[in-house]
Amino acid sequence: MNVDKTLVASIALHVLVLGWGLVTFSSKAYIAPEESLPIDIISTDQLAKMMAGQKTGKKEELKPKVEKIAEAKPEEDAVGKVTEKKELIKTNSQPEPPPKPVEKPVEKKPEPPKPVAEAKPKEEPKPQEKKPDPAKEDPIAELQKKLETKKPPPKPVEQKVAAVQPQHQPKPKERTFDPAQIQRDLDKRAATRHELAGSALNASASLGTATGTAATNIATWRGAFMTAVRRCFNPTYNGQDQDQYAADIDIPMKIDGTLASEPIIVEVRGPSRTIAQAIAESAKRAIVQCQAYAFLPKQQYESWKKIETTFTLRDAL
Amino acid sequence: MLGGGSAFGQRIGIPSNEFQPIPIAITNFLPGTPSDGDVGNGVTQVITNNLKRSGLFAPIDQAAFIERISNMDVAPQFQNWKTLNAQALVTGRMTRQPDGRLKAEFRLWDVVSGQQLTGQQYFTSPEYWRRIAHIISDQIYERMTGEKGYFDSRVVFVDESGPKERRVKRLAMMDQDGANVRYLTRGSDLVLTPRFSPNSQEITYMEFGQGDPKVYLFNIETGQREIVGNFPGMTFAPRFSPDGQRVIMSLQQGGNSNLFVMDLRSRSTTRLTDTPAIDTSPSYSPDGTRICFESDRGGRSQIYVMAAGGGQAQRISFSKDDTNASYSTPVWSPKGDYIAFTRQGGGQFSIGVMKPDGSGERLLTSGFHNEGPTFSPNGRVLMFFRDPGGNSGPSLFSVDISGRNELKVPTPGFASDPAWSPLLSSTAGQ
Repeated sequence: MNVDKTLVASIALHVLVLGWGLVTFSSKAYIAPEESLPIDIISTDQLAKMMAGQKTGKKEELKPKVEKIAEAKPEEDAVGKVTEKKELIKTNSQPEPPPKPVEKPVEKKPEPPKPVAEAKPKEEPKPQEKKPDPAKEDPIAELQKKLETKKPPPKPVEQKVAAVQPQHQPKPKERTFDPAQIQRDLDKRAATRHELAGSALNASASLGTATGTAATNIATWRGAFMTAVRRCFNPTYNGQDQDQYAADIDIPMKIDGTLASEPIIVEVRGPSRTIAQAIAESAKRAIVQCQAYAFLPKQQYESWKKIETTFTLRDAL
Repeated sequence: MLGGGSAFGQRIGIPSNEFQPIPIAITNFLPGTPSDGDVGNGVTQVITNNLKRSGLFAPIDQAAFIERISNMDVAPQFQNWKTLNAQALVTGRMTRQPDGRLKAEFRLWDVVSGQQLTGQQYFTSPEYWRRIAHIISDQIYERMTGEKGYFDSRVVFVDESGPKERRVKRLAMMDQDGANVRYLTRGSDLVLTPRFSPNSQEITYMEFGQGDPKVYLFNIETGQREIVGNFPGMTFAPRFSPDGQRVIMSLQQGGNSNLFVMDLRSRSTTRLTDTPAIDTSPSYSPDGTRICFESDRGGRSQIYVMAAGGGQAQRISFSKDDTNASYSTPVWSPKGDYIAFTRQGGGQFSIGVMKPDGSGERLLTSGFHNEGPTFSPNGRVLMFFRDPGGNSGPSLFSVDISGRNELKVPTPGFASDPAWSPLLSSTAGQ
């Protein structure tokens, strides 16, 4: 039996090639390539250097602290400590003491201030220099403002209520030199400086805090009142001459924010009497409908016992 | 901030808020006798529809009413209406009198202050109960807004019927709310551009008769009509002067047309323009001293203003965003504060208003084909017609001059070329 060698060789070669192909091109599970991440290998020394704080880096750390402290009700504490803060400010700005001592410095003026004032510039020049770095001058400046703004309240009280005066007069008489008290005050200063800085920043950003100055601002309730009444003031007139119309209306108020009596149309203005009158009546309805205005500050009732308003038309076209 | 000072500074300035319709409760008019119930309900419905369609009022659904008014002569329990947030309350009564007339009474209450704002009574023939309802609507509208109403008025328009190729156009008239449609012509001849006279007793319009199209006068009461003037060419686009003594129109002369005015008493005519252009669609200012019209003397149709006696005309329409836009069909507002127009540009027809000096242009609505604005008697609302194209036909629409409250005006069929009458109650004595 003759076997064709070429045929055998061909078959053998094909088997070989197919076998190689089966092994080489066999299916493999697809594995999605992962994105490579660049990695820098650093030594522990390098890490230590990176984590080490820098003197100039404190600014970034202090700001968030201030914000957190402010949210944790430091403001109430700050109120009580504000008066004590005055001395701190004076020591920081030596040239200024003379003008302020006229009134309040008198309380601690006698002798303590001087030693303290002399001691501090010598002992605490460094801490004071460090604080300007973390941008702490602004809080202090705000403290000054806060102190100044808090001075006025007592003054009007003195003017209006005679009984309050005796309370202020005794203070200067009680002035005594008490190093222990000064020390306690100094301690408090150190603690309050942080908190006051925080509360000062936050107070400027919020209108409604119990201790904020916004409540004493007449412009605040006037704006709020305008907004509240405007919600209900939807007159129909939209003529080209609408900017010429106005209605002056006085509103007698009760202390609970409701109307003491019907709003009074004082005067109406505009090219058409009937349209002006309709606008005024629309305003009256708005005033009545949108009551009560409970947000009006009761302590300032005298200022809004009778609210005087002028209603106008805005271009609604 | 206006006004003087006070003990604590200046007055608090309170600007108006975004416009909101006035919530109003309209109770069914009580029947004076058991047989007056239907007419009472009808009057209530007409008033409610009028005030609602004005866009200035939001009538409260009667299903929400807490209190049922049983005697209009007794003050309502206002707290019940305050609860519904109503600012005003309407009560009324319809009573047929022994002499057959109808007595209509109504009271308008300020719910907030608990005071009566107005109260009236009217006597009329029973068939005019709708008109009484319109008059009461005007009273309420005027007392609440300070502006004259427009409900007791009519609209004359071109009623269109039949296939588009052979459309029959008749002169028709109806109440402003679409009721009481009445046809004034039979439709044998084509009619266009009808306009009311100031006393609402006559209508001037153009009609294609046997010869050239002519301007006619139509007396609504007698049904008689007459040609205005005897001009050799086509006359069109007529309109009355504010005093009703003259008719201003266009006269075609060759390829051009110019404006002429004819005194209806002396029948004398005066040429107002003489240009090699098409001057048309004239409209008087309410005081009769000026005229606005459209002209293509500048190459494209624009709006011009000139003295009523003619002279130098000043172009007032200048498109800001499309230099190829054209302006046409100007109409002067009864109040004199605006000129309404049709603007064609950017493939759209728009209805808009501008001040008589051309400033303050404001487009109120745009679409494929809007045209022919006409002012309500108080100048607050515009009516116009809109043709969607295709095999459909035109319809009437109304829109507030602020651009709000666009509404379709009901008509029996297709309708175009509307013209609003003056307030009927104010012209009754004319």
